[in-house]
Amino acid sequence: MGNLFGKKKATRVTEHDRAVLQLKQQRDKLKQYQKRITLQVEKERQLAKQLLKDGKKEKALLLLKKKRYQDQLLDKTENQISNLERMVQDIEFAQVEMKVIEGLKVGNDCLKKMHEMLSIEEVERIMDETHDAIEYQKQIDDMLVGSLTQEDEDAVLAELEAITQGDADLELPEVPEEELPEVPEQEPVREKERAKKKPEREMVAV
Amino acid sequence: MFCRLQPNVDTRQKQLAAWCSLVLSYCRQRKLYTLDVLEAQESPVFNNKKIERKLSVEAIQVVFEELRKKGNLEWLDKNKSRCLIMWRRPEEWGKLIYQWVSKNGMVNSVFTLYELSNGDDTENEEFHGLEDWMLLRSLQALQTDGKAEIISMDDGKGVKFF
Repeated sequence: MGNLFGKKKATRVTEHDRAVLQLKQQRDKLKQYQKRITLQVEKERQLAKQLLKDGKKEKALLLLKKKRYQDQLLDKTENQISNLERMVQDIEFAQVEMKVIEGLKVGNDCLKKMHEMLSIEEVERIMDETHDAIEYQKQIDDMLVGSLTQEDEDAVLAELEAITQGDADLELPEVPEEELPEVPEQEPVREKERAKKKPEREMVAV
Repeated sequence: MFCRLQPNVDTRQKQLAAWCSLVLSYCRQRKLYTLDVLEAQESPVFNNKKIERKLSVEAIQVVFEELRKKGNLEWLDKNKSRCLIMWRRPEEWGKLIYQWVSKNGMVNSVFTLYELSNGDDTENEEFHGLEDWMLLRSLQALQTDGKAEIISMDDGKGVKFF
């Protein structure tokens, strides 16, 4: 490419796109043609009507013949347009298929590479090493556990107990200071008071 | 609307602003993309037939010049008799077109310019009937953003959206 197009190095338009564009341009032209013919046909129909009214049957007949011919043209154009459109769709679909294949290929390559990295011997070796490491860890654990005497263990348990005990102490609900609810001979005023206090007590207990 | 330019600077500014927005709304309503000054003078914007007053050609040019400064208008000739009017900037048109394209799942496809501005599919879109120069500019704006690429062929142009 010349200097003129220097900027457009990475054009993303492929040959297929150009082909599609060409087809579409052709279709546009046919559509314009179709529009023109349709208008003409309509005009001629009106004219034929007018001629019939005026009693010029011969001329009207001639005009209708011409119109008939144009109708056929219109049909043909319609067919061609649909042909072109089908072609465009085919190309577009083929492009999609190509993309799918490309995607599959990339995926396949990736999988292959990963498999190369993960040979069976490698996996076996890693598994063995992991196993060894676990064994080793177990030994260390045993040694560590062994270094604590029964006495130490008891002390630990006792401390745990103490901590839980302390928590339980804190959680004990307060003893209600009020008297027990009285017999329902009271005026409704006091009743309300009690109702107010009740939720408070409940909250403390929780 | 006063049918002559106001002498006072402040009033004149306000008047010009009012004229500008009036012209733009009128063109938007009528979907006009090119204006002829003489024709514009006869249009209802500058010609109030009820009171038989119209703006002089010079005054219209002043208004248009103001629009040009704002970037809504471009003169087509040196005599300032015809102009392109952009009541929506190319970028905005581009955005509208791109929205339509992506809404219809047609990103990555190729279109002819005729198809975009006159095709059956765009019948209900705002950019239907857009004039070619305007369409091209909006697509160029999209191209700068990397959302489209204009394809030139022997007869006519096309565009591919990304």
